[in-house]
Amino acid sequence: LRCQLSPPQRALRTSAVLRRVSEEQKEPLASSSQQQFDSHPTDPRPEQEPQGPRPSYTGQGGQESEDYESEEQLQHRILTAALEFVPEHGWTAEAIAEGAKTLGLSVAAAGMFHSDGSELVLHFVSQCNTKLSELLEQEQKQVQLGEAEKKPTEQFLRDAVEARLRMLIPYIEKWPQALSILLLPHNIPASLNLLTSMIDDIWHYAGDQSTDFNWYTRRAVLTGVYNTTELVMMQDSSPDFEDTWRFLENRVADAVNMGNTANQVQSTGEAVVQGLMGAAVTVSN
Amino acid sequence: MEVAAAVAPTVRRWLGQCRPLGCEAGLRGTRPLPAGGVSLRLCSTRVTLEGINKPLIERIIRVDHAGEYGANRIYAGQMAVLGRSSVGPIIRQMWNQEKDHLKKFNELMVAYRVRPTVLLPFWNVAGFVLGAGSALLGKKGAMACTVAVEESISDHYNSQIRALMEDPEKYKDLLQLIKQFRDDEREHHDIGLEHDAEAAPAYSVLKIAIQLGCKAAIFLSERI
Repeated sequence: LRCQLSPPQRALRTSAVLRRVSEEQKEPLASSSQQQFDSHPTDPRPEQEPQGPRPSYTGQGGQESEDYESEEQLQHRILTAALEFVPEHGWTAEAIAEGAKTLGLSVAAAGMFHSDGSELVLHFVSQCNTKLSELLEQEQKQVQLGEAEKKPTEQFLRDAVEARLRMLIPYIEKWPQALSILLLPHNIPASLNLLTSMIDDIWHYAGDQSTDFNWYTRRAVLTGVYNTTELVMMQDSSPDFEDTWRFLENRVADAVNMGNTANQVQSTGEAVVQGLMGAAVTVSN
Repeated sequence: MEVAAAVAPTVRRWLGQCRPLGCEAGLRGTRPLPAGGVSLRLCSTRVTLEGINKPLIERIIRVDHAGEYGANRIYAGQMAVLGRSSVGPIIRQMWNQEKDHLKKFNELMVAYRVRPTVLLPFWNVAGFVLGAGSALLGKKGAMACTVAVEESISDHYNSQIRALMEDPEKYKDLLQLIKQFRDDEREHHDIGLEHDAEAAPAYSVLKIAIQLGCKAAIFLSERI
């Protein structure tokens, strides 16, 4: 029903939505703030806090306050609020509309976004990745301060992937839908970007310092592990997803084995070559 | 249990490149690069990533790393053929300097979290073949190859220095490093000339061909 808007049209529509919302808000705001003034004359101006449904870009009397939030921040807030409606409505514009309602905005605010829920999924994935980075940074700090033992790489990778996948648990019912959205052609650059930067982060905190082709093989292998584990998780019905974590453990062990085998093959190859060279020298003498 | 114990050393070897990340404050943005002195201690595995032109720096480090890697392989190829000849010691000395350069760029790559170029395995082979091939043309051929490559690399470093000079304060350490390396490469170029590079067979053709190849390699390594 909703047609695809080009960026300038979208911006125009956004500003129209914002203006309409501020119109809706102005009347009750003016009267309520009047009351506030009478009862709390020393109250500071309403800050940009999600306590009440009052958006900060309208101060008293409909003037724009100094903490005018950018469109991006507003979208951020709406998407974050929309997440709680995902289990019910899925990754759709309905969820976004519900989220906008909880912030006191009109449901038309969902018009700021694509009608297929793309931004909601990308926002969620980006949020999860940020949380993962913070978690790994914390762990690294603890190791540096000597408060925790440095984990062996295999366990580190396992724990990092598990931590990241656990963030999907509240939305696991609707996650297949999210995956299909991420695979839409117009979303692929963004979703690929998010995936690669997450995997790079995990390897970085795992202590990877490779500067040769290993850099690529390691990330490719971990991406494979992550993706397959994610798929297993979606059809896992065991308590607390134990089957998934066991699958993950096996895959990471396989990956490590693969690396070992590659090394062994290489050193065997070198030994064979040396043997042959020695034989050639002997024969020629 | 015994199996695990037996496997553990090999596991550690494969994962051997996973050294513990930086000591002290190797955290985002808290530790500035050591001022003065070109060597980067492995301790400072994290440099300030804010405020720098990340794409530019990434390109620079990626292509320079690829360049030093290639130069390393070229000298290896030359040594394989001419290692026991009279120019052996000179080539070995230049090779050692290139190894040092490569080591520094490895450190920078980790510090700035830059990915290496995908074409590394290709430069591995191509560099060795170029070095060995030019050495098979004789000592002068090897020197001609050195002159061509080092001239390309010096020009390339110069253009990078020009790009970084847009903001000399921000990129102080990197600038210092690249300037020093540029001077080293210039020195190699002059050594090549001293050893009769210009008397090599088909010198001008060889030089042009090699420099074209270098330009292509630089173009590709910056992007891929």
